[in-house]
Amino acid sequence: MKHVVKLLLTAAVIAATATAARADGAKIAVIGGKADDPFFAKIKKGIDDAAMVVKAHGGAVNYLQLQTYDNIGGDAANLIRTAIAQHASVIAAPDWVADSEDEAYKAATAAGIPVMLYNAGGGDKAKELGAINYIGNEEYPAGLAGGAYFASHGSKNVICVNTVPGAGNLEARCKGISDGIAKSGGKSTQLPLPASSFGNPTAVAEAIKATLLKDASIDGVATISAGDADSAANGIQQAGRTSKVKLGTFDMNETNLERIKEGTQLFAIDQQPWLQGFLAVSLSDGFVNYGLKTATPTILTGPGIVDASNIDATIAGAKAGYR
Amino acid sequence: MSNQTRRPALGNLLRRPETGSLLGLVTVFVFFAVFGGADFASATGAASWLNVAASLGIVALPIGLLMIAGELDISIGSMIPAGSMAVAIVSGHFHAPILVGIGTALAIGAVVGFINGVLVVRTAVPSFIVTLGTLFAVAGLVLGLSVILTGTTSVGIKAGPEAKWLLGHFIGGTFQVTIFWWIAAALLFGFVLHYSHYGNWILAMGGDKVSARNAGIPTERVTILLFMCSGVSAAFVGLSQAILYNSAQVSAGQSYIFNAIISVVVGGVLLTGGYGSVVGIVLGTITFAIVNQGIYYTGFDANWASLIIGILLLLAVLMNNTFRKLALAYSPARGKSRT
Repeated sequence: MKHVVKLLLTAAVIAATATAARADGAKIAVIGGKADDPFFAKIKKGIDDAAMVVKAHGGAVNYLQLQTYDNIGGDAANLIRTAIAQHASVIAAPDWVADSEDEAYKAATAAGIPVMLYNAGGGDKAKELGAINYIGNEEYPAGLAGGAYFASHGSKNVICVNTVPGAGNLEARCKGISDGIAKSGGKSTQLPLPASSFGNPTAVAEAIKATLLKDASIDGVATISAGDADSAANGIQQAGRTSKVKLGTFDMNETNLERIKEGTQLFAIDQQPWLQGFLAVSLSDGFVNYGLKTATPTILTGPGIVDASNIDATIAGAKAGYR
Repeated sequence: MSNQTRRPALGNLLRRPETGSLLGLVTVFVFFAVFGGADFASATGAASWLNVAASLGIVALPIGLLMIAGELDISIGSMIPAGSMAVAIVSGHFHAPILVGIGTALAIGAVVGFINGVLVVRTAVPSFIVTLGTLFAVAGLVLGLSVILTGTTSVGIKAGPEAKWLLGHFIGGTFQVTIFWWIAAALLFGFVLHYSHYGNWILAMGGDKVSARNAGIPTERVTILLFMCSGVSAAFVGLSQAILYNSAQVSAGQSYIFNAIISVVVGGVLLTGGYGSVVGIVLGTITFAIVNQGIYYTGFDANWASLIIGILLLLAVLMNNTFRKLALAYSPARGKSRT
């Protein structure tokens, strides 16, 4: 019994000193997505890499992650408040649902904690909230770039497959595709899929196949995630239209990249998530410790188009977990 | 059920557990044949729902048997991605022979199923809660291990031609080979439920577990075996999807939990256990798949898809309920029916 008490006491002392030691530098709270989300895993790698710099400056990074995406705005707002309660020296977070989260951001600012927006929100939002900066992609321009890329490769009628209809950022992606292609006289309509298909590649593939069979004039398919692009490639192949229907996607994975190399996928729109995590943390660290700030108001990490021209470097980056 | 099949009168036919599900299926098929036009009724149209039904059906069968036995397994939601990731990591990332990858995936399914079964049997905690626990635990394990082993959460896999032919190719470019695995699984589970002594045990367990045990049925062994079946089946669906789509993600498969339960219930299995048939489960799965995919053949705005899915499923279940009442209220002149 005595040993146990002693052990517990020692552990408590070690824990206390460890916390005290960490409190010297910047305590950076980062709010982010689920760790099993392949996209956020790359952001997380950027955060972890930047954390080494923070550690060298005597600080620490605390990654607060969402458990589910079912109530993304409210949950993120709660995590921001958690970070305030922990007396973080700076909070880096995505502004996914402005209506739910902005109040929490204002509470942070009121508590004297500077805020860095990354991944979602945009430059205007950062200015409005008085955030240090915004680092990330803007969905609508990314969609525009995708639409223009489709148009420049001859596609006239593109469907934008949305596996999570109603999510603001995805709607903006599809709207961007539509407006981007409209500039060259083409058109793009959205194909919203019900929640019972989400995460079921066969259901997504069959839905795309059926849509292609119904409308022979469709010559392009855009998907909102890398996994959906794998399903789409399959649906297009089943419909027997691989040579005619071009495939483009937001985000990417290993299989997407191989298809781009083989030539069965036209392109992927990359927002370079590693950069978002890395810059959000390293710039927050520089700001809190030394007052460093970039003169560029919004730091856009995307859209970067990955196609046959830059596929080899991208594959190398993907192998190392950076892309 | 065998005492019913001996007397094939119309009244008996109406009282079979699968009659309601068959009528539900015919209803939705006619609905989409009318609104979906020629494409829906064509071979490629049939492939649309058969392909979806096949992978869903392979998990729905053991789930159905579990539900008949009065249990539930929702850990399949993470066993499917676990199966995909296991084969992708072992054979895709580490380039081990595909058989090793497949074996690993199926073994993980068996182990998780075994753990589920033992926990349910030993702790008497409702299986919904136990498998909810393993649902999260397996998801966490898969994520943690795949990040440690591969540094990423999405792994590509290029299977060799034999594995592709067996598990991941399209017959005639449209029909997934998974359909045949599903048929095989249906025959196997059909034999178990309707022609082996296990079947009567399973039905009895769902009816009244305590009496079943008192009657000498090895309820614990049957429960554990059923959970192992669902674990292995889910892992199988996961690995065949990874081979089919050349990639695996750590987070795909949650929709299977609900979809499998819906298919089973549409197929006439009682949520409280003790009643149901394999033919019914197969019909229920096809009904769900038609409702889920048929919408893309119609001219309806896809925004309404969920609404139509909801209404059609409700109709199918209502039809089922009517027939189940008929069956359960039936008492033949010479004595009470078993169910």
